Amino acid sequence: MRAQPGEQIRVRGHRQGEPDRLGMIVEVRGPDGTPPFVVRWDDPGHEVLFFPGPDAVIEHVEASNARQ
Amino acid sequence: MKVRDVMVKAPVTMDIGATIGDAAAAMDRAAVGAVVIVEGERPVGIVTDRDLVTRALARRVPADARLDSVMSGGVVCVDADAELSQVASILSTHPIRRVPVVERDRVVGMVTLDDLIVRLTNDLHSVTAGVMAQLLFGHPEPHAPVMVV
Repeated sequence: MRAQPGEQIRVRGHRQGEPDRLGMIVEVRGPDGTPPFVVRWDDPGHEVLFFPGPDAVIEHVEASNARQ
Repeated sequence: MKVRDVMVKAPVTMDIGATIGDAAAAMDRAAVGAVVIVEGERPVGIVTDRDLVTRALARRVPADARLDSVMSGGVVCVDADAELSQVASILSTHPIRRVPVVERDRVVGMVTLDDLIVRLTNDLHSVTAGVMAQLLFGHPEPHAPVMVV
């Protein structure tokens, strides 16, 4: 998984009805865009050091804009 | 105070390919309530004793199923050199009780809510000890004022 600052990370909900968790990648700490990432979550809005699991996807800025 | 001053060193980690039974046995051996799941050295998830009960036992998932079938994917971590207040901030804004501690992308420790409460309680006791002594034994009497004529 690779990302750049400004891209969005989405963590899928684990249970039925549980919403996905969205955040913005503020900083990439790993080499060549790899984790860990500093992520600012939409909710609660704090920045944390995050190691994504297999249920996380990076949504590139262009793709996000294209949907809107 | 830094996170590394408070963290429990050598947390239990397991490869993502390990089984639910392996995790339960590891928790039993190490007397811990959570295992950090790693791929290589990098954390990718966490499994707690509660996860084993609610996501595995309650749903009759067999003990030889892979851990990634019950783990919480993605791990909120804290850097070992971060200030301890950062852990308090994470615990107050995320529904978690344990925060793995990392150096670069390797797990080197764990800080739990319980650890933090014990630490803060001890610190509070140190601060209040002086006040308690004054309440119990009174202030030391100052020297009588000297009247200069």
